[in-house]
Amino acid sequence: MQTAISRGFRHTYPPHTRYSRTYSSIPSSSDRGKTAVGVFSPIAAAIFIATGAGLFYYFNSEKESLRKKKEEELATKAYGRPQVGGPFSLLTHENKPFTEKDLLGKWSLIYFGFTNCPDICPEELDKMSGAVTALEKQYGTAIQPVFISVDPPRDTPARIAAYLSEFHPRLIGLTGSYQDTKSVCKTYRVYFSTPPTAKADDDYLVDHSIFFYFMDPNGQFVDAFGKDTSMEDVITRVRKEIGEWEEDGKWKA
Amino acid sequence: MGWFGSNAPEPTAVSREGRQHCWDRRDAYFACLDNAHVLKPGDEGKACATEKAAYEKNCAKSWIEYFNKRRVLAEQQKGVLQQMKNQSSSS
Repeated sequence: MQTAISRGFRHTYPPHTRYSRTYSSIPSSSDRGKTAVGVFSPIAAAIFIATGAGLFYYFNSEKESLRKKKEEELATKAYGRPQVGGPFSLLTHENKPFTEKDLLGKWSLIYFGFTNCPDICPEELDKMSGAVTALEKQYGTAIQPVFISVDPPRDTPARIAAYLSEFHPRLIGLTGSYQDTKSVCKTYRVYFSTPPTAKADDDYLVDHSIFFYFMDPNGQFVDAFGKDTSMEDVITRVRKEIGEWEEDGKWKA
Repeated sequence: MGWFGSNAPEPTAVSREGRQHCWDRRDAYFACLDNAHVLKPGDEGKACATEKAAYEKNCAKSWIEYFNKRRVLAEQQKGVLQQMKNQSSSS
């Protein structure tokens, strides 16, 4: 009988040493148990276990192949990353043309603000500049700080140059026409309230988003830092990301 | 116009030093208002005239409006937070 069942077992499912061993222990577990269970005969038990094992194996392998597929997708596409950043065309504080392509190959920290900002912009720029200076010891000039003006009527290249000189020597200031500014802000999901009709000698403030962005050397968004993020938090986050790239062999300091 | 060049033909941004001067005058004026138990700038009568003049001389109009508004808002926020705290502790 034992062989018959074993054959039946083998017939339905490929040989599986672990489960035939389990089965072989059933008859020796005494005849009393066999009569007591009634319908639950060793055959039924064997089929039940074998089916369970088969299903278990099937779902496990399906799960595994799904996981592998997902992993492959993740490797090629970064999920959960907001679509921040993209093409733009502006002028630097030295009156040179500058586009998103000029940021490629370097990590960048990008702050949107205006030079007539009473207190938040200078605080955030100090934080960003401090982080860049601290990271320079480890990464040299691999991290590029950028300031993009949301106040084109007043923020001329010369005015931005004078303003930024008090923050970080490598800070690149960018400005452009009202349309260019609107376009870059849209690309980076930044809100700003400068009226299109504002004049250079008007005294007004600009309402705007006050976080700064951390972008990777491919121009992809990594993180955004707000008022509650400390300089140490920024440094830690940048180090972590660059470290991960180094581990993956995508970046060499 | 003090530390502000906003009336100059080629307007320049306020320098770090200029900002600090403005903030210092603002803090002095607000401290005076606190002493006089006045929340809203302008409601103090003649109490802080000297501080107010220095504040207005060293800060742009747009900045003054912003700081004044923020002072009132911050105080209201404190009041709301306190109210919430009282409510949660009494319930």
